[in-house]
Amino acid sequence: MRQHLISCLIPAAVALVQCSCVRDEAPNAECDILSVSLPGDILSRQPVIGNHEITIMVNEGVDITNLAPTFTLTPGATISPESGTSHNFTEPVEYTVTSEDGEWHKTYIVDIQRPAGITLEYSFDHVRQITSNKGTYSYDEFYEVGTDGKISLTWASANAAFALTMQGTTPETFPTYQYTSGKKGSCVALTTRSTGTFGAAMKKPMAAGNLFIGEFAMANALAKPLEATHFGTPFMSEPLSLSGSYIYKPGEQYCVLGDDGKLKPVEGQTDEFNIYAVFFEATPEMEWLDGTNVMAADNPNIIAIAEIPEPTPSANWKDFVIPFIYREGKTVDPEKLRQGRYSITIVMCSSKKGDFFAGAIGSTLYVDELSLLCK
Amino acid sequence: MKAIYGILTMAALTVSSVSQAAEESHNSFFQKDLYTFEALAGVNIGGAAPIPLPVEIRKIESYNPNLNLQLGGSVTRHFSTSSRWAVRIGLNLETKGMETMANVKNYGMEIYQDGKKLSGRWTGKVHTRYHSQQLVIPIEGVFDCSRKISVNLGPYLAYAFRNDFDGYVTDGYLREGDPTGNKVSFDTESRATYDFGDSLREFHWGIRGGVTWNAYRHFNVHANLTWGANGIFESSFKTVSFALYPIYLNLGFGYRF
Repeated sequence: MRQHLISCLIPAAVALVQCSCVRDEAPNAECDILSVSLPGDILSRQPVIGNHEITIMVNEGVDITNLAPTFTLTPGATISPESGTSHNFTEPVEYTVTSEDGEWHKTYIVDIQRPAGITLEYSFDHVRQITSNKGTYSYDEFYEVGTDGKISLTWASANAAFALTMQGTTPETFPTYQYTSGKKGSCVALTTRSTGTFGAAMKKPMAAGNLFIGEFAMANALAKPLEATHFGTPFMSEPLSLSGSYIYKPGEQYCVLGDDGKLKPVEGQTDEFNIYAVFFEATPEMEWLDGTNVMAADNPNIIAIAEIPEPTPSANWKDFVIPFIYREGKTVDPEKLRQGRYSITIVMCSSKKGDFFAGAIGSTLYVDELSLLCK
Repeated sequence: MKAIYGILTMAALTVSSVSQAAEESHNSFFQKDLYTFEALAGVNIGGAAPIPLPVEIRKIESYNPNLNLQLGGSVTRHFSTSSRWAVRIGLNLETKGMETMANVKNYGMEIYQDGKKLSGRWTGKVHTRYHSQQLVIPIEGVFDCSRKISVNLGPYLAYAFRNDFDGYVTDGYLREGDPTGNKVSFDTESRATYDFGDSLREFHWGIRGGVTWNAYRHFNVHANLTWGANGIFESSFKTVSFALYPIYLNLGFGYRF
């Protein structure tokens, strides 16, 4: 003890402090499920692990009443019920992870699903509010309810990343939010927002409102934003067209990303929105599409794309029907379709070039009554 | 507050002992040859260091003591012309500062942006800049070991009129709120700044001790160690979960009048 004290006593030797006083590492406080696996070759997709929920898609015909998933956890953490025990996954099963230091607990809802057709009509009438940072902000998360009254789809957005900029407080101050005056009931509103000093420091000075089918990978949001948007969910029909209604009001000043990370105004240019859908084959190498390849001409997994041809501003609800254009040489294999090997995503964005931080602050896109017409 | 009373008591005791000594030696309190006046200039090298290092700090990657200047003066009064004992009171304008880069794990953090804050637990690199400008009053007993060497020890009182404690986090991840919150990764290009300057303490006290070498007739060399008794943060500040004590080695030169 005495020696310990003396070595710390000499402040000029703070470098010494490092050698002599860095203490043993504390037990981990985190309690994450890092990975999940199931015995046998029954997965249709890689499991999607969120911070509180895990979705596992298994092949068609797999019996989900008696499955024993095994988990890897933050080192030292424990899980209850135990990893490797069998459960009936007809309904989602709750697992609680306790950190190595015993002070922190996190509950995960593990949902094992077989491929099933998602709803084809999207009304944007349902949101749940996500509140965090000690209640200082809350934002909307959209979901759709199927004919059976169950949640058939949860939409993804980058709202969780925008929350980090601390520019958002109430849901309507976020880029993606529900607006009560839709074409029918409520609709989704997407607004391009400034990300304040935090965003500028990160060279990401704006956030376009976006809503898409897939998952938003929060961990990548700052470091690799294009790879944070995981597009696609299993789809078991052959899509023909995407229809719906929109209102679009472009923001006043179009800007691009300057070298200093701030917005650089560009004169004579008007912001554009985008609405598109991509039907693709999910392969082990490419289970989902992301911002780097979702529309890429050389992406071999893409089967068909429906993209709004003329994204013109409109102050009133304007209807659209966009046909899926199948890529040359691409056909749909009925057997793969039945097995859930194909995926679809629908993407809406208030600034078309928002993923490269170009657009106009304030550009707002309202979308309502989307529907997919299938063969 | 207790600390301030402590210092006042010590100061009062020192003054009374001085006057007592003065009486005992039948000298006038203001007898001129009992006093030594000195002008001082020096540097502070050190940092605000947690003792012992908390478990959150895994590695100190870099440390820069900065050039912290000290300017001031002191008056020393010997108890009698023959006494080896004296009391010294000083008034210094000092800078205390440091810059560090540390690797931390599960470190309490509040990122400030546009007047709002996002709190959570940070694992990764933390850059810290501490800079404080202070008016420091040391009150010390002095003992002359020899004609050339004297030692001193006593409390000091400091008022920080300018206080900064800020920096950034990078190359790691934040768990929003607590260790179970959303995980956000920052690469080496991404930084988020924090600023705890408003939570720094203005009044400090501590203990200072050292040695003086009277190298030439008018020229002294000082080496002092100052050890703060208060953490640099107000006690209500909880984000940094451990106390940081200002600990500085002061090296200076004095001109004796």
